[in-house]
Parts: sequence; C-alpha cells; structure tokens
Amino acid sequence: MSITAINERLLRAIGVGVAIARERDLKLIFHNGAFAEWFGEPAAGTDAVEALPGLDPAALRASIAEAGRFDGEITIKPKRRTLSIALAVSPAEAEGERLLVIECQNVTRIRELESMIDSYSSMVERNTRELEREKERVERLLLNIMPRSVYEEFKSFGVVTPQLYPSVSVLMLDFVGFTAFAAQTDPTVTLHELNDVFTAFDRISEQYGCERIKTIGDAYMAVAGMPEPSPDHARAVTQCAIRFIRYLERRNQSHPHKWEARIGLGTGAAVGSVVGIQKYVYDVFGPAVNMAARLQAFASPMSIVAPDEMKTALIDDFSLTDLGMHEIRGLGEMRLMRVGPGAETARRHTTV
Amino acid sequence: MSKTLYEKCGGFRTVSRVVMTFYDKALESDQIGDYFESVDMKRLIDHQTKFISAILGGPASYSDERLRQVHAPLDLSHADYDEMARLLAEALGEHGFAPGDIQLVMSEIEARRAPIVTKGD
Repeated sequence: MSITAINERLLRAIGVGVAIARERDLKLIFHNGAFAEWFGEPAAGTDAVEALPGLDPAALRASIAEAGRFDGEITIKPKRRTLSIALAVSPAEAEGERLLVIECQNVTRIRELESMIDSYSSMVERNTRELEREKERVERLLLNIMPRSVYEEFKSFGVVTPQLYPSVSVLMLDFVGFTAFAAQTDPTVTLHELNDVFTAFDRISEQYGCERIKTIGDAYMAVAGMPEPSPDHARAVTQCAIRFIRYLERRNQSHPHKWEARIGLGTGAAVGSVVGIQKYVYDVFGPAVNMAARLQAFASPMSIVAPDEMKTALIDDFSLTDLGMHEIRGLGEMRLMRVGPGAETARRHTTV
Repeated sequence: MSKTLYEKCGGFRTVSRVVMTFYDKALESDQIGDYFESVDMKRLIDHQTKFISAILGGPASYSDERLRQVHAPLDLSHADYDEMARLLAEALGEHGFAPGDIQLVMSEIEARRAPIVTKGD
C-alpha cells in the first residue's frame, strides 16, 4: 500500500472530522466518516459554507490570510442533542492547487461540563452568601452577650481565659418599687417599659465608653476599664450614672409611669470571663462589682453613691457630697459620697 | 445532623457524573427525549444539575410552586414521569448507588410528582 493510500485510510478512520476544500471556491473535495456523521454526506459540489452551518466565509478567508489558520466553533443539531464542534482550518497545497484542511472536533461534552460547572458555581456561591449572612447574624448575637475583644478571643481559641483587671469601675442600677410595679402591671407593658429604658441606657453607656454587662430583672450593670483598659474608668461610669438619672427625670415628665432608680458605683479589681459552655454568658465578678451592688442598695432614690476612693478621679468634674463613714455588709466600714452633676455638666445641660 | 445522600455519595464529584449520565439517557429516550429537544443545552444542564442536587439533599432547592410553573406548559403525563424516574434510577445505579439509596431518591422523586405532572393518565 502506498503512503498516500495509508494516509487516506487514516484520515477516513480517525474520530476527528476531516474535510478538504479548494481555497478558491471552498468546494469540498474530501471528507471522512466522522465529518459525514455530524454534517451529513455532502453532495458533490457542495462547498464548505453549505456543509458547515454557521461558518462565516469572510471571517474564514480573513483569518487564513492574516494568521495562516482559522479557529471557530459551530453548533449543530443532527438529533435531539445540540453538538458543539470546534473547527480548525489550515491551508495546504497539493499539485499546484491551494487547499484548506478542515479539522472538526466534537467538544460537546466539554461545553456541557462547562455549563454544569457554571450551574454548580452559582449554587455554591448562593450558599456561600447565605452562610456568610448566617455567620453575621450569629456574630451579632454573640456580640450582644460579650464584648468584641472577648468575642475575638472566643472565636480564635474556642475558650475565654478569665482575666483579672486590677482597676475598673462598675455601675449598678436598680429601680425603686419595681416589684410592686411589675405585680400590678401587665407583663408586656413592664417589659416594654424596661426595654425602652434599658435601650436608652445602652446608648448612653456606649457613648461614654462603658460596657453593659447584663441586666437582671430591673437591675442594670455596666463597667468601664474592661475588657479595654482605660485610665478614665471612674469618670466614665459616673458620667453614665449622671446621664441615666437625667434621662429618667426627662422621661418621667412625659410618661405615666415614673421610674426612680438608685445607682451605686464601685471601683477596684474585677475578673471578666465567659461562664458556661453551652449557654455561655460573659460576666464580671470581683470586689468592684460587690461594692457597686452594696452602694446601690444604700443610695436614696434618684441618687448616685460612690466610695470615697473615687474622689480624686471625680472631684474636677462632679459635685461630691460627703456622706460620712458607713458600715457596709461584707466590705466593712467605708467613707461614702453622693455624686451629682458638676458645674460644667449642669450648665451644659440647662442650655441644651 | 444526619448526612444527606449528597454528602454520602461523595458530593458533587459523583453527582456531576450522575447528571451527565442522566442527561444522555434523557435525550436518547423516545418517551421523554422530545421534551428536551427545543431546550437550550445550558438551561437544561443547569436545571438537571440543580434538580438532582436538590433531590439528593445537596446545595439547591426547588419549591413546588417553581416546579409547577416550569413544567406546566409541557403537559407531562405519568408515563413521562415514570420514564424520567426509571432513567434516573438507572443513572444512579451505574454510579454505584446502593439499591436502598436509590429507593430513597425514588421516594423523593415521587413526592414531586404532583407539581410536575399535569396530564391525567
């Protein structure tokens, strides 16, 4: 068998569709079995444009002239399935005649798989977005029960190490006659009132650099100086306390129920940590907390009581009234003072 | 949380093969192939990928209402639906799904018959 015969037999047998056209009129002079299978048996004298639907002869000639080859893709539908066929056309010469060799590859499966990848990506991306949103929701929820820096630690290590803060200040607030109010009022009303007041307190706390730790029933507890240490913690809780009282005074003018609160301030050491494993809550313990709680109980309605040790920190900005020595349960005898707005705060307040 | 069949079978790695096999079978089927003839390949693959993922408990879901809207114009019969289910079962079997798991998928398929089939027998 001659080399030419072998070549021709090879061309006929391979799975790639092959056709040869004359360059001058694009008439097909050869095609193999795969070609006929996809595009049908071309009748004698058929040109490439007729045989290959969607082939642009101008683009073909321009590309051959410029780049020396042409690459394209056409889709056909011999049966139900849409086939994608990649075309590669390159020039050749035989017996003085310029020819074009047209190679056709079935890339249907590749296109189908590409579509499937697109489809899958869109599903996965949508799920990722949903997970992202869910994560944000969880994060917001956790940030409600613990400070951000504690949350970051919790997220990275899965635990929170109890941390001792040697110098912090604590504010403890409790309402006068809340039990009686709650007993004679519709619980939803009570809740609504508390929610309203505590939301305002939260805003004030944030504004003055305090962190609300928790509310227990009608008690409200905030700290300053932890988890972010700040040298100003005594002033921060006092500013908050003054604003809480002021807010209640204002609110009482326009609301049927008149809320009266006692506030105690404490200073000293405290430990902050997440308590519990499944139902965790961030909490603060220590002498400063106990002190604030005791002094709160000692305070008269709508007044703020602080220990004498806060004096140096507060004397410039607040009006302090000495209350003398008192025996406080669990803390021994200590000097106390009542804290009121300073001249500066009071003046600013009246002009507002 | 119990594992979905989607996770159990090896995730999208396996599901993609099931989709391709099912796609081939659906187009070749004389019973239902014609329905797919005029559908754009991209859309059809997208639909089948998501539907099979959803059936297996993977990352997609179709509401009954959506299935109803998409299939209403086709006026599908129970015989068409049975054929689809049979081809899917075949495809799953070819990709190594255990008979029990195929049965599970078939009951999922059955649950969606009502919104898809509109022509009474």
